Amino acid sequence: MKVQSAMFYFPEEVIEHIFSFLTSHHDRNTVSTVCKAWYKIERLSRREVFVGNCYAVRPDRAAARFPGLQALSLKGKPHFADFDLVPPDWGGLAGPWIEAMARSCPNLEELRMKRMVVSDESLELLAHAFPNFKALVLVSCDGFSTDGLVAVARNCKSLRELDLQENEIEDRGPRWLNSFLDSCTSLVSLNFACLKGEINVKSLERLVCRCPNLKSIRLNRAIPVETLAKIINQCPNLEDLGTGSLIADHFSEAYISLAGALQKCKKLKSLSGFWDVSPLCLLAVYPVCANLTGLNLSYAPTVQGQDFVNLIQHCMKLQRLWVLDSIGDKGLAVVASACKELQELRVFPSEPFVGGPATVTEEGLVAISSGCPKLNSLLYFCHSMTNSALITVSKNCPNFTRFRLCILEPRKPDPVTNEPLDEGFGAVVKTCKNLRRFSISGLLTDQVFYYIGKYAKALEMLSIAFAGDGDQGMMYILNGCKNLRKLEIRDCPFGDAALLADVTKYETMRSLWMSSCDVSLRGCKALAAKMPRLNVELINERDAEMEENLNNGVVDVITNGNNKNLNNGNDERKVEKLYVYRTVGGPRSDAPDFVWTL
Amino acid sequence: MITLTSSDGVQFDVREAVAKESQIIRDMIQDDCVITNIPLANVNHKILSIVLEYCQMHVDKTEMEVNASKHQTTTGEGSSSVPVALKVSSNKNLNDWDKEFINVDLDTLYDLILAANYLNISGLLNLTTQAAADIIKGKTTEEIRATFNIKNDFTPEEEAAIRKENPWAFE
Repeated sequence: MKVQSAMFYFPEEVIEHIFSFLTSHHDRNTVSTVCKAWYKIERLSRREVFVGNCYAVRPDRAAARFPGLQALSLKGKPHFADFDLVPPDWGGLAGPWIEAMARSCPNLEELRMKRMVVSDESLELLAHAFPNFKALVLVSCDGFSTDGLVAVARNCKSLRELDLQENEIEDRGPRWLNSFLDSCTSLVSLNFACLKGEINVKSLERLVCRCPNLKSIRLNRAIPVETLAKIINQCPNLEDLGTGSLIADHFSEAYISLAGALQKCKKLKSLSGFWDVSPLCLLAVYPVCANLTGLNLSYAPTVQGQDFVNLIQHCMKLQRLWVLDSIGDKGLAVVASACKELQELRVFPSEPFVGGPATVTEEGLVAISSGCPKLNSLLYFCHSMTNSALITVSKNCPNFTRFRLCILEPRKPDPVTNEPLDEGFGAVVKTCKNLRRFSISGLLTDQVFYYIGKYAKALEMLSIAFAGDGDQGMMYILNGCKNLRKLEIRDCPFGDAALLADVTKYETMRSLWMSSCDVSLRGCKALAAKMPRLNVELINERDAEMEENLNNGVVDVITNGNNKNLNNGNDERKVEKLYVYRTVGGPRSDAPDFVWTL
Repeated sequence: MITLTSSDGVQFDVREAVAKESQIIRDMIQDDCVITNIPLANVNHKILSIVLEYCQMHVDKTEMEVNASKHQTTTGEGSSSVPVALKVSSNKNLNDWDKEFINVDLDTLYDLILAANYLNISGLLNLTTQAAADIIKGKTTEEIRATFNIKNDFTPEEEAAIRKENPWAFE
């Protein structure tokens, strides 16, 4: 047998130097399993960690393994929280993570969290615990107020990025912006578009004025045109701008200064905001459109009709476009003819669940697919879709990696043939070999799951609603999609047989969500018993039925610490919401009463 | 000129600028400005000659660029005073040269990494460790162990625990 190679005897700092060129988490994970020495060198030198489920590992464990951590990304609640399917107090607390980092990882500089509950106390701790803290990115989080932001602004002296996207933030007044110290000159990115309240514009102007490196700023609706113009004038390097309100009178001083400022904005690549717009202000935007690669009009219900057409015709280089469905199929046709570089399109419903007069259909999507051959990412809320349209779309754009189509009316068939949409969605998975994320809707039978299982080999995340005939449909998916990481299902007739068909599969996935399906308490218990390393959680909101059952003594819940004894005579009872995920941390300790861990 | 003596006794006469690509030699010369012979106990002649090839090329390239820019600023013409041999290589990107240079067998790569580390030649250390990292990228644990002939010293339980924790927790 050959002796240990020279590599084995390398000084630690040399191995660490080699590892410094390994940037993917996958490669870092792999080298940590080679030998003990490499495990140690890797863990001490790891600077970035991504935790896709905050309950997959205990915070203390993560912090102890990677004490040199500088950047942590965390995800909390299941994705269906975006559709209000996860109760408010479900969990996903940031506190334990920030506390663990504060104890063991003093070098933390960047924290990114999605769908987590962040308290003001946690933000206060964060603001004091990490002397070099540079970036806070919160996406779809809640639980905190502007007081938490005061702590961050006042104490994080090297802050480069404060990015608040789609959060629910309690507004306790405009003083948070005032709290940035005069010595804070390092901001590169500032996004407070989701804040509802008034902003102290003088503080904002002063802050912008002393941060020469600002490249990205997204304002909220409260910011008037006058301030916007001043801010743009202060930021010659601006690449990403979210406007405030764009209301200005004809030939007003505000309009003239905005138009002048935008004309000097040569580096602008991405534009959003447009909360309220007077058509005149859109004229001022035209000069920057030619260079734009990203445009988000999903907050802009008033930009439609001819205004939209005029604007979009100036945006020849767009790669990413988010719009409301109020632009209609006609608007999409204009996009198709103007934006040849388009790669990502999102069309959001302007009035969820209510079909307005001008909404998008298969016609708009077909037009986009024929005009924009580089399209590879789609989110499309529409009122109708046909098989032939989906077949054409997949033929025109075979490079889809993300294809999410939501037909707002559940179980709606192809309006032309009255057939299910199996063949249309089947065409998408057959043609788009790199499809990683897929959401399907409309009338669907098990046939569509047969296609997905057979063809969607690269698929990582699948969302299903109101679809399928029975257990077989889910089994096609579990058997076929070898790369599946997340499966979320609501309102489908999948029961225990499907759930239990291949229980080892769930250890290869990040999570499984099933709500309003046919799984029973017995099935869930069986899953938990067979797979002890999975957390099998039931969410039982205290709805009317539940209360009634409790009163009748049907469900006998004995709350005893975290062990809720579920032994009773009604195991056949349907489970309303099931969330299953693999974990090395064991059952979570912060589960509220309505979450039962089996 | 400075004489560098390899661990196996072979002497290399090089220009001071070339030797000073190494931080430790730079420090020695600074401390003792009359030093002319430096023994290098950890580098044999085969590796030292490769290391010096690297240093020579990088010094030449830097000097040539300095000359070229000087010449251009003074005469506004092309770099006619630069030697022909250097002009030829100037057409070739230094990165391309590095890429070709580092295309060596594994044992040589190991020795170059250790030499670059010992002599503290940061460019060469980056180049060689990057090459080692490129070999690692995309490989499985077993492939890495086999490639570098590294023995697995985990207990089966330890290895199983890490192999589970990695993809489950730290995707």
